Amino acid sequence: MSGPEVLVIGGGPAGVSAALELARAGIDVTLCEQGPQLGGAIHRQPNDATQSVRVPRSHKRRWRALSDELATSTVKVLYRHMFAGIDATGAVLLEDRMHARLVTRRPTALVLAMGAIERVAPVPGWQLPGVVTVGGLQVMMKSTGRAPDGDVLIAGSGPLLVALAAQMVSLGKAPVAVLERSTRPMSVSVIASLLAAPAYLWEAAGYLLTLARSGALPRRGAFVTAIVPKDGRLSVTTLDRNGRERQTLVDRVALHDGLLPNSNGTTAGQHAPFIVRAGDCREVLGGAAALADGRLAAGAVLAHLGQIASVHKGAADALARERQAQAALNTLFDYSGRDPAELPDETIICRCEGRTLGQLRALLTAGDPVSPREIKLNGRFGMGACQGRFCAEWVASFVASQRDGSSPPQVSEIVGSRWPVKPVPISAFVTLPPSSPSE
Amino acid sequence: MAVVGAGIVGMSAAHFLSRAGWQVTVYDAGVVASGATGSADGAVSVASKKPGPLMTLAVAAVKFYEQLVATGILVDEYLPRSTFVVASDQEELAVLERHAGELEAAGVPIRMLRGAALMDVIGAAAPAAIAAAEVQREGHAVGYRVVERLRQLGGFTIRRNCRVSGFKSSNGRITGVMTEQGIESTDAVLLATGIGSMHFLAEAGLIRPRKGQLIVTDRAGADSPHFPGPLMSCRYLVSKGSQPAGSTAASRSLGLVIDPLRTGQFLIGGSREDRDDRETADADVVATLLRDAVALSPSLAQLRVIRVFSGLRAATRDGMPIVGNVGGADNVWIATGFEGDGICLGPMIGRLCQQMICGESPEQDISALDAARFGLTLAAAA
Repeated sequence: MSGPEVLVIGGGPAGVSAALELARAGIDVTLCEQGPQLGGAIHRQPNDATQSVRVPRSHKRRWRALSDELATSTVKVLYRHMFAGIDATGAVLLEDRMHARLVTRRPTALVLAMGAIERVAPVPGWQLPGVVTVGGLQVMMKSTGRAPDGDVLIAGSGPLLVALAAQMVSLGKAPVAVLERSTRPMSVSVIASLLAAPAYLWEAAGYLLTLARSGALPRRGAFVTAIVPKDGRLSVTTLDRNGRERQTLVDRVALHDGLLPNSNGTTAGQHAPFIVRAGDCREVLGGAAALADGRLAAGAVLAHLGQIASVHKGAADALARERQAQAALNTLFDYSGRDPAELPDETIICRCEGRTLGQLRALLTAGDPVSPREIKLNGRFGMGACQGRFCAEWVASFVASQRDGSSPPQVSEIVGSRWPVKPVPISAFVTLPPSSPSE
Repeated sequence: MAVVGAGIVGMSAAHFLSRAGWQVTVYDAGVVASGATGSADGAVSVASKKPGPLMTLAVAAVKFYEQLVATGILVDEYLPRSTFVVASDQEELAVLERHAGELEAAGVPIRMLRGAALMDVIGAAAPAAIAAAEVQREGHAVGYRVVERLRQLGGFTIRRNCRVSGFKSSNGRITGVMTEQGIESTDAVLLATGIGSMHFLAEAGLIRPRKGQLIVTDRAGADSPHFPGPLMSCRYLVSKGSQPAGSTAASRSLGLVIDPLRTGQFLIGGSREDRDDRETADADVVATLLRDAVALSPSLAQLRVIRVFSGLRAATRDGMPIVGNVGGADNVWIATGFEGDGICLGPMIGRLCQQMICGESPEQDISALDAARFGLTLAAAA
């Protein structure tokens, strides 16, 4: 096929929706998925179809419609292709994990639909083996169709906590405890907003009913203060809303403090293709919004290519509705994490390089307004494999809390934007064919 | 004393000047170590130098690092170690033997490794090598960490994000530094502005950016082969400094250095490209470097690239740094154009600048670097 090529990164609902919309307009579109199957985190398909996790019927319907259309579309799908970034010349780098090689593409436009990343607020011991994220555990369960081995404690804040807990109960394994930090009440206005997108209410009601039956309802206002290894397991110290401390011995701790768009460290350089973000990768609004946002992203690409895109009034309306519902939902949760001033110095902040809060504090006591770049270079925050995607926010907020508002550092000054956006094996790099020497 | 530029040269000069009694302010348009100092490989090395003043100065600069460690200034920031210049074929061996002879003539301790000794020392790391020259008594220092240590030692003021736009002069002397915040009076100025130096000089095209790309790997496992020090392919010698800045011949050359870092990671570099886009690296250069690296050290193929980055070196028209008095104002000095040698030479140059500025005779002969060879004058706007 000749003409412009569009690359869509991410095989979740936003990516598939964008790819389908582009294909309908006759565009040569390739969808890259890092895993062996499409679906993203929300529609992760089981490895073995006989074992699956309970998911809402609306989710199943949505995914079936997308995958059915994809099967008959002109969209080319590349599985096990991980997006590794865009280099200085504008080449899009893909690690083809199927063939253990690196390939480059020069698409006219690039749709980034890589979903969200999970926030986890630092707590002493969060770097220990056995401490996972709620979303990570949920995806694992969706893939295997089984609950995790051992006792699990779920903590943090957000609707995902009860979703995971209920799914575990359905698989015959209730979590030891579910600690929801927030004590914020549900108001009439929140209910009114959620009624505009009633699927959330039904979903939540279903989960809570399941948890109520098994006696695993969340303890509101409770949170984890420390995790330490003990007898090959994890001893978790928790604090209840009435200030009561207790220890619980478990095998796994699943933490979660909200979601953030997966910025992925990708920035549009001078020679980069036209880039549009779609779905949770642009704004965390969930699966239903991702569908609409994918269509809008495709519309933006078509407009860039000079094609008249069909009117997306419906998609824009759907997005606005989901945004309102998510905003209402978010008022119920508390994603702030613990005040870093209350955390002990030995708390790890950067898990890639094992850098602690105390080491960060030491950088700041010199009485000189040290810049974010200096904090990064000398403190090693943001210098590890994730380039600060999981710690930059906490580093920035801690530094800001130590200064009288004079020059709070920006997260963007700490987080890296260098490719590869995820580590790529050298063995894959060396397969890249040499360019012509004329360059 | 106004020092312009908070890289390794400016910060070293500020350190020594403040100890010599000057009240020093360091100005930088960015922050500390935001130029080449923050993106250098950290080689405090004579191994790659060509015979002549630069080789002599590099030998002295390595000794200066040792002194700074001994006097407690750079404790833990300088790691003494050997560099291994490696030949993989007969052509490279000829280059290696000639170069090893030149280093020995300059008083650098060299051990030629062949046969069993070669296998013993670097056989596991570089099984394809046919010979190597172990360049002893040199080392490694991370540029931004050296600068951070000097900052912590203090004694001078740093003005970040404070661009010097020009100078106020009177009767052939600079009397003030112009910044966005106004004019601040000064008795003397040292320009240590690397690639930014051209802004202050009347001569166009004297200093050009020369981009370098570097690769960082993840940590090697405990079972991976031992690297006794950085491996430098002989081809690096052919690459380095072989093209004067701005020449139309090869605008890009690649050399290969595989540097085992203290963290267990590797730094693999690098390129020399006559261009000024410092923000990103390109996959073609990176893949070429990695192919060469794996050919020399196959075990590297098991590691992953976690990041690539690039920086801009300040390359002068004749390939030699510029250190000395700037014409047209007798209280302005300059120290720039170190290309890839800033981390190695920087602390010593800072010391020599302090001696010059204090009217003492510099303890090293830097006449070959004298700014007068270009007849440098301050730009009219400056």
